[in-house]
Amino acid sequence: MFSCSLKKMAILSTAIFALEVSAGGHFKGKTIEIVVPFSPGGATFVSAKFLEPYLEKHLPGNPDINVVDRPGGGSILGANWFEKNAKSDGTTILFTTSSTANPFVLGKKGVAYRLADYRVAYSHPFSAVAYTSPDTGIKSASDIKKSKQPLVYGGISASASDLPGLLSFEVLGLDVKSVLGFKGRGPARLAFAQGETNLDYQFTPVYLTQVVPSVAEGKAVPLWTGGAVDANGNLRKRDPIAPDLPSVYEVYKNLYGKDPSGIEWDAFEAIASVTYAYGLTAYMHPDTPQDVLDAFAKAAAAINADPEFQKESKKVTNGARLSAGPATEKAVKSALSASPEVKKYLRELLSTKFGVKF
Amino acid sequence: MLEHALPAIEALLDPIRLAALFVGMAVGMIFGMLPGLGGVAAVSILLPFIYFLDDYTGLAMLLGAISVVYTADTITSVLIGAPGSPASAPTAIEGHALAKQGKAATALGVGFLASMVGGLLGALILLFAIPVAGPIVLALGTPELFMFAIVGLFFASSMLGKNLSRGLAAAFLGIFLGSVGPASADADFRFTFDQVYLLDGLSLTIVALGLFGVAEVISMLASGGGISRGEVPVTHWKDGFLEFLKHRWLIFRCALIGVFGGFVPAVGASASTWVAYGHAIRSSKEPKYFGKGDIRGVAAAEGANNATIISDLIPTLLFSVPGGPAAAIFLGALFSFGYYPGPRMITQNPELMFLIVWSVALASVIGAIICFLIAPALARLTKLPFALIAAPLVLVMVMGAYQSTSTMGDMFMLLLMGLIGWAMKHADWPRAPALVGFVLADPMEQYFWLSNQIHGWSWLMRPGVLIIIGLMLAPFIYRLWKSRFEKEGKVQDVEREKGLGSPVNLALSLTVLSLFTWAFFESLTYSPDSRLLPWLALIPGIPVTCFLLIRGYLCRERDKDLMPQSIKELPYLLSLGLYVFAIFIVGFTIATPPFVAWMLFSCAKMRIHTGLLYGTVICTLSFLLFSILRNGAPDGIFGPLI
Repeated sequence: MFSCSLKKMAILSTAIFALEVSAGGHFKGKTIEIVVPFSPGGATFVSAKFLEPYLEKHLPGNPDINVVDRPGGGSILGANWFEKNAKSDGTTILFTTSSTANPFVLGKKGVAYRLADYRVAYSHPFSAVAYTSPDTGIKSASDIKKSKQPLVYGGISASASDLPGLLSFEVLGLDVKSVLGFKGRGPARLAFAQGETNLDYQFTPVYLTQVVPSVAEGKAVPLWTGGAVDANGNLRKRDPIAPDLPSVYEVYKNLYGKDPSGIEWDAFEAIASVTYAYGLTAYMHPDTPQDVLDAFAKAAAAINADPEFQKESKKVTNGARLSAGPATEKAVKSALSASPEVKKYLRELLSTKFGVKF
Repeated sequence: MLEHALPAIEALLDPIRLAALFVGMAVGMIFGMLPGLGGVAAVSILLPFIYFLDDYTGLAMLLGAISVVYTADTITSVLIGAPGSPASAPTAIEGHALAKQGKAATALGVGFLASMVGGLLGALILLFAIPVAGPIVLALGTPELFMFAIVGLFFASSMLGKNLSRGLAAAFLGIFLGSVGPASADADFRFTFDQVYLLDGLSLTIVALGLFGVAEVISMLASGGGISRGEVPVTHWKDGFLEFLKHRWLIFRCALIGVFGGFVPAVGASASTWVAYGHAIRSSKEPKYFGKGDIRGVAAAEGANNATIISDLIPTLLFSVPGGPAAAIFLGALFSFGYYPGPRMITQNPELMFLIVWSVALASVIGAIICFLIAPALARLTKLPFALIAAPLVLVMVMGAYQSTSTMGDMFMLLLMGLIGWAMKHADWPRAPALVGFVLADPMEQYFWLSNQIHGWSWLMRPGVLIIIGLMLAPFIYRLWKSRFEKEGKVQDVEREKGLGSPVNLALSLTVLSLFTWAFFESLTYSPDSRLLPWLALIPGIPVTCFLLIRGYLCRERDKDLMPQSIKELPYLLSLGLYVFAIFIVGFTIATPPFVAWMLFSCAKMRIHTGLLYGTVICTLSFLLFSILRNGAPDGIFGPLI
């Protein structure tokens, strides 16, 4: 009898909970705080602000969205803050990039956030394009092994957003001298323009506005993109944002006549997915109810269909779209839960080749 | 291209845009005057609001704020002696000393006018950004940027002051503080005690506030309710104008230094101010007045810092590489409005370029005029008991520091830096070299590492590098040549060694020596590349502090009574520490009212009614400001429970 009443209570409380949740699914009169663990003015902050009006418009109940910057510790401080303070009703969101994901995957010191346990509300690609200097004699990606000059790449830090780029060099078997220690992709691009480096990666919005003019002037040669995830979850497709350029997968196949495989490719695929395909991801508390996530998935679809969003995103990202829902969440989580072999490979590569300490 | 100049000014003169520019200026002036809150805070506060405006209006608002911050911070620096922003530390040193001599009006006048000139020159250069600035920025590779940092350090050597060993010790301490955090390419994280907070290194705002601001506030609190000096008269601007005209070429040269500093990402604002200040000292025939109130110091620093923050926009607009933190936020705003700055910006959006130039120029001139108008009123505030001014200042500094990462680490770091700054002040260690060392440590290491990685040692033979070395050494050799003929008067040994044996100096020397020794052993665990920068500070720093300690110990009898002021101030320092600890435990909201009450009733001896009213007003304002700053006040461990 006792167990029976317990059961009843459980059913009752689930019902009440469900009721509350369905009311909470509509964010009427609520404020959603979007935490960006970088400085205002950075690419992530700008993207969050870019999406803000569309989320306000298409989420049920038209909540007020407040984008807050919490920079520090290379985004670890802001993510740790989220771990401690996030609410589980979907009103606190962590909007961040691979700079938060990579230290988590690598198990670096100071990481207190459980990124792989978080729910994924929506995601926006943050694809990147590799390009080189015409002085190398390279005309396209297929010439990459025939450079007349030693290839020099300028980057920030091996364990942050440069990781997929460096891994792509490993996959392709390139002999690249990687100079790390720049304070941002901007200064690295400037060093390319000054002729100090001759191989560079830039994220799409910057590529479109900064590098495309140089391509037209004959000062830069576009090479490849990280690629996009196909229906089977593999990073093989061409990036729809730059459909003229091959993906790393294609470049490999073209160079070696077979599919890339092995630990280098597995590591690249995992890290490149969270960096490029799901580059900007909105995370929520692990206990966030499913219908809140459904509401966000619906809003993401509505935003993608919004003609104003389509027009604006055409200008900024060449028409990138939001993704959300179970498939996105599954892909992000599987990329975040890299296999022990991949983790071991990454840690070894970083410590032997790039002197990173763990 | 010039045909776009008029449509742009017409666009700017639209009443709403003009209003937005003025709102931006008002915010910029307020934040410029509040110590610790500078251009970055002003621009980030305005940022959410610009999204409600159209593109030109929103950008004009931000530019209004950026253009006046370094004009308005002169007021705080001169009247109170706490730098309104890190880059105005030289103004605080010279200007405040002048104010104490009753020449506040002169210092303020020169400061405002020099800031205006700097802003206008910056705007002019912006106009010629493509033909002039573009090639210069592209000619500066990493080796040249490294040399620029070295130039800064070289000029800093002229600020060491009368006692060489204390000046050097301070500079090494600064470089050491600058080496905390990531080494190049994140190979090692130095001296972080496994604290995530330290992973990015220390924040410039907190170091500047701590070294300069906290010590001033403590002596203000300690001076109590009494009026320790009469009103600072700010009535006659004539002397200011005359001095301005007299030093016009110095100001022009320093504004050029500032503009150049803006071209150079990272070395930027603070460094160019110090280079300009060092230039003023070096080019002066009687440098002995510097540090004791020399108008040329104010002229140089203010001419440079405003020029820098404006020309920071040049790499921003040409290459999308922000020259400084405020410019970085401005770049974000441009992105948000769909402008993607780059080489084609000027041909694609000429009207926008002119709008930026006009906004900056207009704000620089009007900002200076407004400063002239409000300075006398603000100067009258100094007639109030110091403790009354100190109360809101403490809250503002706490708020300013908390903007770096919005964690308790900011509070503790402010306290720690404040303790160091306070001890340095009383032990007569010059604080300027410490700040310069801190500012330059990071770019020095970064560009040295990059230069060697990219070029090997061959970068030493690059023409740009050789030219900079030549420019740096020429005046030095000239001086050496000249000094063969004239013997310089030697500073009296007694004057130089004064206070060496005071307990504060002994304690500080011992602490720094222990710190350096520990750090040296700690640094042995780092990779050789990561040791380079700390060793630059530690290897000469250990013998210098050792020497200070031994000399001090030998003079301890002579100087043992030399510290009444520091003993008197000690309780106030402890109270401040207690306040920070209380914030940590119960949060800002609960800890602040009792602390304010203590400052007003115990320190300032206010009467109950006025004290309650005043206290309520400043507490409310501080809560309000925290909520505008969006991140909220620190909660404390038990704060949320109460």
